[in-house]
Amino acid sequence: MPPTYSGRPAAGNGEYAGRPAIDQARGSRPALVALSGWLLLAVLVAVGSALLSLAAASGAARWPRDLFVIGGLGALAAYGAWVYRFFQGLERRLPGEEEKFRRLERGLVQAFAELGAGDVVRSLTCTGLMPERLAGVFRAAAEALSRLALQIQDSSVEVASAADAVNHLASDLAAGSSQQAASVVEITAAMEQLARTAAQIAESASRQADLAARAEASGDAGAAAVDEAVAGVEEVQKRIAAIANRADALGTRSKEIYRVLDLITEIAQETHILSLNAAIEAVAAGADGRRFSVVAEEVRRLAQRSQESVESVRGLLDEFAASIRATIVATEEGGKEASRVLERSRTAATAIGELRRASGDTSRVARQISLATQQQNAASAEVVMTLREVSQVVQRMTGGLRELSATSDRLNALGLTIQLLAQSFHLESPRSLKHLVEEWAALLEPIDPAGRQEALDALVRQTHFVDLAYWVDERGVMSALAVNPEMIGSRPRLELAQLQEVDLRRRPWFRNVERERRTAITSPYRSILTGEHCFTVGACLAAPEGGFGGVLGLDINVTGWTRI
Amino acid sequence: MSRAGRGSEPHAAAPGPALQGAAPGAGKQSASHLLVRAGEYICALPIADVRRVVRALPLHPLPGSAPELKGLAELGGDPLPVLDLALLVRAPQGTNPTYPVTVVAWAGPPEERELVGLAADAALEVAYVPPLPAAGGGFVAGEALVAGRVVRVVDLAMLGAPAAGGGSAGAHGR
Repeated sequence: MPPTYSGRPAAGNGEYAGRPAIDQARGSRPALVALSGWLLLAVLVAVGSALLSLAAASGAARWPRDLFVIGGLGALAAYGAWVYRFFQGLERRLPGEEEKFRRLERGLVQAFAELGAGDVVRSLTCTGLMPERLAGVFRAAAEALSRLALQIQDSSVEVASAADAVNHLASDLAAGSSQQAASVVEITAAMEQLARTAAQIAESASRQADLAARAEASGDAGAAAVDEAVAGVEEVQKRIAAIANRADALGTRSKEIYRVLDLITEIAQETHILSLNAAIEAVAAGADGRRFSVVAEEVRRLAQRSQESVESVRGLLDEFAASIRATIVATEEGGKEASRVLERSRTAATAIGELRRASGDTSRVARQISLATQQQNAASAEVVMTLREVSQVVQRMTGGLRELSATSDRLNALGLTIQLLAQSFHLESPRSLKHLVEEWAALLEPIDPAGRQEALDALVRQTHFVDLAYWVDERGVMSALAVNPEMIGSRPRLELAQLQEVDLRRRPWFRNVERERRTAITSPYRSILTGEHCFTVGACLAAPEGGFGGVLGLDINVTGWTRI
Repeated sequence: MSRAGRGSEPHAAAPGPALQGAAPGAGKQSASHLLVRAGEYICALPIADVRRVVRALPLHPLPGSAPELKGLAELGGDPLPVLDLALLVRAPQGTNPTYPVTVVAWAGPPEERELVGLAADAALEVAYVPPLPAAGGGFVAGEALVAGRVVRVVDLAMLGAPAAGGGSAGAHGR
């Protein structure tokens, strides 16, 4: 059974604040009305008299004025009599009207007092003291207020949920932005390294281009030198060929000389033989031939000398011929060597030409590489600048996301605050926690204390947002405690025996309920049991003999409540 | 083979194989021998027996003849047996001769002298060879020293006679 209404008005002194004005109006208003009526009539008479006088002054007859005056005086008298009777009747009806007004006042005071306490349900119970029309208007206003409160509840939950989602999203984005900022920093460092490397490559490519250009110039000079060498070797080859021809001619001539020498040798031999035969004949001639033998001997000696000279010439000619042959061989070798040198020179010229082309190509490619790497360097620098800007943007975005997260935290808290403010209304709705806890109280109060624990456990298991439910008597001693196992999880269980030794009367939820004698909601706090945000809804229990009988408390898990 | 009587010139060759050096002033003596080269040896032929010296004559070998007989040549329309002087004096084979000659000389005992050809590697000179103190009685009568060279004095009269001393004979017919 819900606790009874105490009937105390909001002012706390049992009197409506507008009562003195009513009493004052009851004594002074009729006289004022009468006096004002007399004054009005007097003014009318005076104005009429003035008009009549004006008509008389214009030459009209006097009797209309006199008639008007007499009639006016009669009217005044009749009016005075009527006013007097009116106030006499009003004086007789005033007590009844005052009583009706007092009931209306009491009903309105009660209704608005309940409404001011946020208890829309009980405020509607006060409409029985109101006229039907006023009661209808009040109920419509209460219902509108209920709808508004429910909408505020829903909106606050939506705001809290959205803020929580935004908070998670902002946290995730902030974490992602932090990682992105770190990545951007790494990429920036990598791009800076790339830019430095590109600059080094550009410098190296430039140096390589210069070296290639020098190599090309050297290749030009080398090609010219090789061309000259080729021309020189060709000239040498021609001269060697000429020398070989001349050596051949000398060889031919030396063969002729050999033939001449052979002829001379043969002549010398013949002469020798002839001289010997002459000597023989001289000997045969005896003393007569002795002088002839001397001549024969001289001839033989001449022949011998001729032969010796021929042999000497032959020896010289042999040496000459050997020299010629050596010359021919040397010229042939020289010619071959010149041919080889010429071939090598031409090969070298070809190689130098290819080297020149390669150097030219290398120079061009190196310059292209240098240009490309310079462009790459510039692009890398731009990328680095862009990345720095991106880094700044990301850092700002990270800061903004953190601010957004903090703002969403505040918004979540604001939503929760609005939710709590909206829950301060006791509405005829399952989404009203006060309504819920009073329903639970209504269910549990008739149950025997021995079965109260079991019923409380059954009720708690049916919810997904009640961490704890407890029954505390008027002495502040907990007599029943139900723990939601789904919400507690693997955390250490809270035992009733531990709390029965604790005086709970100083707890805010207990004091609020005890003081207001109505259902109350605390501010949110962090639960020692679950570590999550929660708040307590306390319902006022009625003692069997009447009066305050204790508190039925529910620890509502904020997350679980907003989830539903 | 033509035959002729022994000439009137005195035989200047002294018999005996002993080496006889040339006496001082030998160059002023009248020439007595024709010096020819036969292989490694220098042989001295008595100039009185030498008819003439001609360039090596074309030879016609005689199959089955003695080795010393190189063949037959034609001289003045008459056949001329040509003997290898180097083989006759048993001279070692020398270098290839550049200008070989054939010495036409009278050979054999005085009563049976025949004109023969002696194939030599070269005809050197006509020189004086001092008489040998004692003749060896063979084809090579002895050795003498002429102008510092050792020459073997040949006794052409002993050609065809039985071998005696270091010489060899019997080139033809006996």
